[in-house]
Amino acid sequence: MTDRANADTAVSPAAAEGTGSSVMIDLIELTKRFPGTQDPAVDRLTLQIPRGEIVVFVGPSGCGKTTSLKMINRIIEPTSGSIVIDGEDVTTIDPNRLRRRIGYVIQQIGLFPHVTIEENVATVPKLLGWDRDRIHARVDELLDVVGLDPEIYRQRYPKELSGGQRQRVGVARALAADPPVLLMDEPFGAIDPITRTRLQNEFLRLQAELQKTIAFVTHDIDEAIKMGDRIAILREHSHIAQFATPEEILTQPANEFVEDFVGTGATLKRLKLSRVREVDYTTDALTGRIDEPREVLRRRLHESEWTAILLLDADGRPQRWLRGPDFLHDRPVTQLGLPARAFVEGHATLSDALEEMLLGSAGVAIVVDNRGSYLGILDIDDIITSIQTMRDADAEFHRAAKLVDPLDEVAE
Amino acid sequence: MGFFTEYLADPSTRATLIDQSLEHVTLTAVPVLSATVIGLLLGILAHRVPTVRQPILSVVSTFLTIPSLALFALLIPIVGIGATPAIVALTMYALLPIVRNTVSGLASVDRAVVESAKGMGMTATTRLLRIELPNAWPVMLAGVRVATLLTIGIAAIAALVGGPGLGQEIFSGIRRIPAAGSLEALLGGTLFIVALALLFDLLYLAIGRLTIPRGIRD
Ligand SMILES: Nc1ncnc2c1ncn2[C@@H]1O[C@H](COP(=O)(O)OP(=O)(O)O)[C@@H](O)[C@H]1O
Ligand SMILES: [Mg+2]
Repeated sequence: MTDRANADTAVSPAAAEGTGSSVMIDLIELTKRFPGTQDPAVDRLTLQIPRGEIVVFVGPSGCGKTTSLKMINRIIEPTSGSIVIDGEDVTTIDPNRLRRRIGYVIQQIGLFPHVTIEENVATVPKLLGWDRDRIHARVDELLDVVGLDPEIYRQRYPKELSGGQRQRVGVARALAADPPVLLMDEPFGAIDPITRTRLQNEFLRLQAELQKTIAFVTHDIDEAIKMGDRIAILREHSHIAQFATPEEILTQPANEFVEDFVGTGATLKRLKLSRVREVDYTTDALTGRIDEPREVLRRRLHESEWTAILLLDADGRPQRWLRGPDFLHDRPVTQLGLPARAFVEGHATLSDALEEMLLGSAGVAIVVDNRGSYLGILDIDDIITSIQTMRDADAEFHRAAKLVDPLDEVAE
Repeated sequence: MGFFTEYLADPSTRATLIDQSLEHVTLTAVPVLSATVIGLLLGILAHRVPTVRQPILSVVSTFLTIPSLALFALLIPIVGIGATPAIVALTMYALLPIVRNTVSGLASVDRAVVESAKGMGMTATTRLLRIELPNAWPVMLAGVRVATLLTIGIAAIAALVGGPGLGQEIFSGIRRIPAAGSLEALLGGTLFIVALALLFDLLYLAIGRLTIPRGIRD
């Protein structure tokens, strides 16, 4: 999901249409009782999803997340209650008309195996009767947006793609007719952890531009914290245990259920909330061009306070780390020192950065822009400092809460 | 083997065999085509309406248990003598593999594929035509192929009730056993039936190549 310029023209912000009210999806007393079952799978779920936000439904398996989500596009018809989307009550309108306005992404993706990637992505535009040229242009645009070269992938079949690529196509297909609302049911659930992290990051970057209203289901609290603007923690029958921002859930769990569900290590989890770009990382580290004479590089390192110099290629992409003693070897610069590793982008979470550092075993991560060009260096001390700051802020918050409590009692 | 080449070398025998082969092809193709149309509709109905699935499958299975000679004979009072009773009976036999494979083909389409089609706002009919049938097609085609092979074989029996086809040559041989030439006729008719079956098989291979979408061909 690389091409920013493209994404801008690709999808107009959802806010451009509709009533303009801040609530996009309004679920009112939504209930589902499956035939032949005693208890309702979803019991009077009432929830408002603000326009342009990702609301994550998270909870233990079987608590009713999928059923809740599928009632929004009426793949499962509610037993009672109503669904209002963008001011319109859609509980009883033609479901197919409703669904063409809602992008739908499921864990198993469900690409049509018998047609090409192009035809898969073109599904809803075709149903809406767009003309061929417009569909063709739109497909190319979207494949680009999700980071698949149209020239290569347009005519391929789903079976010729990897799991991660299929999921990208799934997202492109859901976005095809530019629906203001997306429903996503464990969209990254069946993908290996490394690809999942990448897809999550790419999706967040895309969402920053598209500003869709998204209902996102997961059973993984870490994913919920990472993806959600707000999180609805659900317990049995889709009863809401807490509906709040990730920060609030981590710092002020509403009850024991939430506390248990969030689990230990709340501070570590908060690393998933802070982004690299929010941290004061080093931007004046010592760098050189890989095609500079080695003597020049050696002297620059020698005369600086730094223990290593980072060599960049012509496009500013980091190539190698060189320390003083590396210059003693009589080899070309391109073979000296260590290859540069552990790259993170500004939108990556501190948790991702920490992981990269540990994998890269250098104790630092190199911050790069979306083209891979050098921006700065993040080291492990930056992360520790930021944990310290969170702790202090929490302590202060709790002190403040204690001071406020007695007043509340007086007020009541 | 000498006696058999002599039999085949006779121009009048060859003309008979070729005529009867053409009759046999018609006697196979007409029931298979009819059964494909009827079987497809029944199969889709069985897939869409779970309550009629078992009844439909039971009835078409029962057809196949009726001995063919008895069925041909039973149909004569209803539809008269000649090719018609054979065509009706063979259509009934050909139904089972086609209906069953249509049902299992449609059931084998990945649920996630159908759900995502539904989630994108495809109507039930569009979903059936654009998603379910194309994906079920390889299994359905296999059903039609089995039905064809079954029909080629059983069609030979039609000759016993005055029907056309290579059965005539076979039964003319059987009736004259052990007279000279009887074994040749029996063998000749059988051999041509086997050859026809092979040709039909090649035809289905070609149809498969042409009609199974590339994305689901293996
Ligand atoms: N089609 C169905 N018929 C009967 N019960 C169902 C059906 N679908 C889901 N359920 C039940 O509803 C409850 C919630 O299921 P689901 O929404 O899939 O949970 P989750 O997505 O949170 O794991 C479960 O107890 C499940 O067994
Ligand atoms: Mg689920």
